[in-house]
Amino acid sequence: MKRIKLSKRLAVVGTVTLSSMILAACGGNNEGNTEANANADASNNSEVSTEELDDEPVTIEMMANLHTPETPGDFLKDKLEEKYNVELDIQWVPDGNYEERLNTAFATDTLPMVVPMGFDMFNQFKDPIRADQFWEIEPYLEEFENLSKLNPEILDNTRVDGKLYSLYQGRPLSRQGVIYRKDWADNLGIEEPTTTEEFMEMARAFTEDDPNGSGSDDTIGLTDRSDLVYGAFKTMSSWFGTPNNWGVVDGEVKPEFMFDEYIETMDFVKEMHSNGYMNQDFPVTSKDDQQAMFKNGGAGIYVGSMGDVLSIHTDATELNPDAEYGVFNYVEGPDGEYNVWAIPGFGSVVLFPKSAYEDENELRKVLAFYDKLMTPEGANLLVWGEEGRHYEMEGEGVNWIEDNLNEVDNDIRPFLSLEIGEPATSGRYEMASTYDVKAEADKLTIENEEYLVHDPTITLDSESHITYGDRLDQMMNDATHQYMLGQIDLDEFNATVEEWKSEGGEAIMAEFTESYQAQQ
Amino acid sequence: MSGPNLNYNQNTEPVFLSKQEKRQVKKQEMIKSIKKNKLLYLMLVPGLIYFFIYKYIPMYGLIIAFKDYKPYLGILASDWVGLEHFIRLFQGTDFWIIFRNTLTLFGLQLVVFFPIPIILSLMLNEIRSNWYKRSVQTLIYIPHFMSWVVIVSISYVVLTLDGGIVNGLLEMMGFGPINFLMSSEWFHPMYIIQVIWREAGWGTIIFLAAISAVNIELYEAARMDGAGRLRQMWHITLPSIRSVIVVLLILKIGDVLELGFEHVYLLLNGSNREVGEIFDTYVYTAGLKQGQFSYATAVGFFKGIVGLILVMLANRLAKKFGEEGVY
Repeated sequence: MKRIKLSKRLAVVGTVTLSSMILAACGGNNEGNTEANANADASNNSEVSTEELDDEPVTIEMMANLHTPETPGDFLKDKLEEKYNVELDIQWVPDGNYEERLNTAFATDTLPMVVPMGFDMFNQFKDPIRADQFWEIEPYLEEFENLSKLNPEILDNTRVDGKLYSLYQGRPLSRQGVIYRKDWADNLGIEEPTTTEEFMEMARAFTEDDPNGSGSDDTIGLTDRSDLVYGAFKTMSSWFGTPNNWGVVDGEVKPEFMFDEYIETMDFVKEMHSNGYMNQDFPVTSKDDQQAMFKNGGAGIYVGSMGDVLSIHTDATELNPDAEYGVFNYVEGPDGEYNVWAIPGFGSVVLFPKSAYEDENELRKVLAFYDKLMTPEGANLLVWGEEGRHYEMEGEGVNWIEDNLNEVDNDIRPFLSLEIGEPATSGRYEMASTYDVKAEADKLTIENEEYLVHDPTITLDSESHITYGDRLDQMMNDATHQYMLGQIDLDEFNATVEEWKSEGGEAIMAEFTESYQAQQ
Repeated sequence: MSGPNLNYNQNTEPVFLSKQEKRQVKKQEMIKSIKKNKLLYLMLVPGLIYFFIYKYIPMYGLIIAFKDYKPYLGILASDWVGLEHFIRLFQGTDFWIIFRNTLTLFGLQLVVFFPIPIILSLMLNEIRSNWYKRSVQTLIYIPHFMSWVVIVSISYVVLTLDGGIVNGLLEMMGFGPINFLMSSEWFHPMYIIQVIWREAGWGTIIFLAAISAVNIELYEAARMDGAGRLRQMWHITLPSIRSVIVVLLILKIGDVLELGFEHVYLLLNGSNREVGEIFDTYVYTAGLKQGQFSYATAVGFFKGIVGLILVMLANRLAKKFGEEGVY
């Protein structure tokens, strides 16, 4: 074992030295980096020697969502293993078929020790969770200094029958807003919209008034994609005052599409679509295609996560250096109020299946590893990589090192899906804002917290929702798309709602209502 | 082949035996023939093992269609629920839609797609120049090696309303744009054209092989009688490959189950799900994405039974028309 470790360490030292040599060869102004590298090198070595090397490293098997096309290299994995005396066995699963793989692993009783899952999957797993298939971790949390820093409010959102089974990966409550082509708006002399009417006017002007001055009809307003949640629809429905998935009226829990505001939003999109102010094929458009349209100057408005402006701006300026972007969040509905939907404060949770552990001591060791990832040091290593090699400090925040972006993309970024907590609790660095529109987007994300609409069913239970939910959701999503495309009218839409009720929707409403009243 | 036949001949003299004795004689014969051809039988063994391990053992899992399967309890310890999952399937409004869609796509495969490789091979067979024939053959095989993702993506780029080439041309010719991707009317044509695009060339392989085995003398005789090219095709080539066509047709019917999950799944969207959702895609969403293993198994089981019935019907029909059938 030790020999393997040693050779690994040699390899790492070797690469670091080699890269410093290359950096040094690149020119004089890189000397600082080289020194930093050498220092990092030395400090790493000393740290390792202070770790108890006699202890057998714990092997931790885990699944992880892979958001990049390729699995990451071993650089960061080796670093983490060395630093925290663990052996990481990570199964990277492409995000697109993560649910399928997780279900397969569950069905074949081959779940690894650490299983991350998103909110929907978590709901589906409540049954085995109640059947005691996963470790309840609350009793252990206080043993770990850093894990006990996790935000109690968000932890409460992840409880099942009041018990805690998971660590969460934090996400800002609402990053939703609008990104638009500022240069186009300036050309046409349009102000940032603050009402849905002005928003429609902007989409119209971007389509009809030749915002890029090309003299031909080659632009549209909004670019949207098939996703009704993270695409434009749900955020726009918040503007109109639609509840977040479910609303409570007189103590009764009802789905969003039974609210007039939802219909108003559909009419709004329908108008935009039929006038050609948005991409005609949006129900079959992928996120890549949607963003491509925005980056290459085909469309001028993007509704979604405001933070996306950074990557959009980077890619767009490569094609067209003059492209300028702006962000805003505040759009009033017809009732004169601004609302924005919120997520429950976490993007995913991490569960620990009992079948993968021999005893609770093993669990303690895994939790100990996560405890270390919640230190500023551990979290920074996981999220940013190595200072001087992958990132550099800039004021309070950090920045990727441009020359090494390739390695950052391949070896560091995928590991973001292993993070737990959030900067506020782990104390890790945040991205320095070199791009002022991104800084604005971050500011607006915080501002959004004043206008949040929460999903009232986050902590409610419904057995029928687990059984029929996906199927019923699909039915309503399809009907929503068809309505907005003008393929069905309001009567047919309402008929689908009736069908939704009779196929299990009624039962879901009753169960949620019961669960809601029990909590009051 | 000749071994068992010889044995058989020796025993055809009219001897009166009781039923039991007859059975015994038969048994002895069988043992004898197995002993005689033991190497041939030995060669069968790997195939049998394969079928046993990969086709028969997994059937054990079918019992979860009658249980409330919970993975952590295991197959045996999960509770029996009888026909609950089947009842849920048959009572849901989805069922008839899915059933209808599956049969419609199957019908399209059978009526529209199936004859095309035959026609194509007849045409290829008429080509004189050898190098030309070869290159055409190779070219039409190629799409078979492209994945559905590629084929569907190409179609998407060509047919989209946002700058697709087809709608561009239509507009230039003065027709309004057609929403190919998101309409229930265009789903079937799109589906079958893509199937033809990918599989028609590949499907010619067996027919071409069958055609090349037709006795040349027949053609010569026909030509002497003054038969033209079309006559020869109709009266010699087609009848000669009839049994191959029938066998392939029955096999195709057995594939009613394999309409191509990947293909259909990629084509589905909110506006065409009503005509496009088939058993395979339904099993995927219900079973693997929602984790309802028992229910999905019940649906798959039902699909399997439908397939079995169709194959048996087709086989019987083939026999009635004097063909061999597959069993």
